[in-house]
Amino acid sequence: MNLKTLNATFKRNFIIQLRAYPKDFFFGSLLTGLHTVISAFFMYYLFFKGNMKGSFTEYAGTGDYMSYVIVGSAVYLFVRRTCLNVSRSLITELRTGTLESIMIAPFNRLQYFTGNMLQQTITTSGEIVVTLIIGFLFGLRFSNFNFGAFIITFILSLFSFFSISMVLACIMLYSRDTYISQNTLFSAMFLLCGITFPYQYLPKALQIISKLIPVTDSVTLIRNSTLLGLGVREQLGSILYLLGLSLVYCLVGFKLMKRIEIIALEKIHG
Amino acid sequence: MIKVENLSKTYETKIKKGLFKSEKKYVEAVRKLDMEIERGKIIGLLGINGAGKTTTIKMLSTLLQPTGGSITVDGIDAVKNPIQIKKRINMVAGGERMIYWRLTGRENLWYYGQLYGIEDDVLNKRIDNLLKLVGMEEKGNVPVENYSKGMKQRLQIARGLINDPDFIFMDEPTLGLDSVIAKELRAYVKKIAVEGNKGILLTSHYMAEIEELCDYVYILNKGEVIAVGTPKELAQLGLKKKKLFLEAGMDSEDIGEKLNEACRLADSSSVVHKEEETFVITSSVDLRAVVSKVCVDNRAVINKFYEEEPKLEDAIIKLSKGA
Repeated sequence: MNLKTLNATFKRNFIIQLRAYPKDFFFGSLLTGLHTVISAFFMYYLFFKGNMKGSFTEYAGTGDYMSYVIVGSAVYLFVRRTCLNVSRSLITELRTGTLESIMIAPFNRLQYFTGNMLQQTITTSGEIVVTLIIGFLFGLRFSNFNFGAFIITFILSLFSFFSISMVLACIMLYSRDTYISQNTLFSAMFLLCGITFPYQYLPKALQIISKLIPVTDSVTLIRNSTLLGLGVREQLGSILYLLGLSLVYCLVGFKLMKRIEIIALEKIHG
Repeated sequence: MIKVENLSKTYETKIKKGLFKSEKKYVEAVRKLDMEIERGKIIGLLGINGAGKTTTIKMLSTLLQPTGGSITVDGIDAVKNPIQIKKRINMVAGGERMIYWRLTGRENLWYYGQLYGIEDDVLNKRIDNLLKLVGMEEKGNVPVENYSKGMKQRLQIARGLINDPDFIFMDEPTLGLDSVIAKELRAYVKKIAVEGNKGILLTSHYMAEIEELCDYVYILNKGEVIAVGTPKELAQLGLKKKKLFLEAGMDSEDIGEKLNEACRLADSSSVVHKEEETFVITSSVDLRAVVSKVCVDNRAVINKFYEEEPKLEDAIIKLSKGA
């Protein structure tokens, strides 16, 4: 199978990132995670006095709030970085004046976005490792780590983040905006997807919206695999739901992308 | 050969009318355009701003979808088979776009080559050849952000050739370049067309460039072709009156009167006047034979006798205003 576009986009992004953003992005990402962890740390110890309601343990499956928040923050950081960079890839091409020169080439869109995603996954993984090391200082404990389940849920989560990126990419390219669309989505994810508290605390209507965002199940699956030690079989229902939901996002994203590309190119000239 | 028939493009735009209301507006950018681009030839596409040149190029390069008409490349429908066509065409634009500034020249060419799925050994050889063609062998490993404008433009041309296209569309490739570099680039363009046997469609606001390079020119106005021909043929259309310049030797004063009489006889609207030592004959018909005869009959010594060079620029202005 010819994977030239994937391989080339992966390499291109690495080179550009190494030359353009050596430190700033790395520290920027770390600060996002750190800020969330420290906020949770102070809330937990100063406001909650180290005690959580019984309902928290019921919903989260653990009473270890700090580990809950740190894993949630790490997943959120992953979503932010991958979604942000993958979905912004075409609008960045538009802004740097390279959109037309790549569009004139007969390249494979799926490979192009996957190349972007892979490069971002590797960069973000490095940031996550550092975030988790800091997290251990604030009380992160992987007491029941199920490695096999973690790998599967992590790969599935990557696919779900990729699928969200495709839809977000369409919105960004259509509106020629990155700031409002990305920040609206990230705020919604942070509040609705169970990053710092179980989504079950939300009103019913918001819970429905929460379940329609793949990040909710993704973060739950990763927590279940790393903090509760649940295996694939015990989480099969959620895994299949997340897979189905991500597939829908991915198909909608790619279907829309063809149309949006045409509109975007027309907007340049029209 | 690229054959364009009845090509049309209408843009739909929205004009805001208040906070929530907007009105649709349709703008016809190209109207029923017919055109042919042969391999080995450079075809010029001229017109004032907004004439439809860039839209035409974007449709030919499959970036925009026409609203009517057809584009075929060697008989293959470009609208229905864009992937097939993309492999055989490429585009070069002026103004430092279409290349990644953080990558080196070589990395840029490699990336675009990969997007075209070119095999590595073929691609590496081609990159070497292209860098050599545009005189950038020594700068290939330098990041583009350190290039001068001219170097970026030369790299653009190399990028436009990375897939070894049969047809290249060049949209103002010498925009913003100084005359020395622009001249170098014109030489590359000529070489690519003649030696590489590639069909080139060129738009430019520099008329000298069009006159020097193009075999054939289409003049557009408001999306329509208003004139077609060689640069020389089209330039003639811009002349309001023909002007002859004659610098004759002895007895030139007498010749002046004779010239006036003969020219008036041939064309009553003609005017003969003298600017220093030169007679200037303005008329609406060709009076070269008449002037020559007067000189011969009066045994005048002719030092200089020439016709005013018609300018393509005048033709475009005249035709655009007329349309």
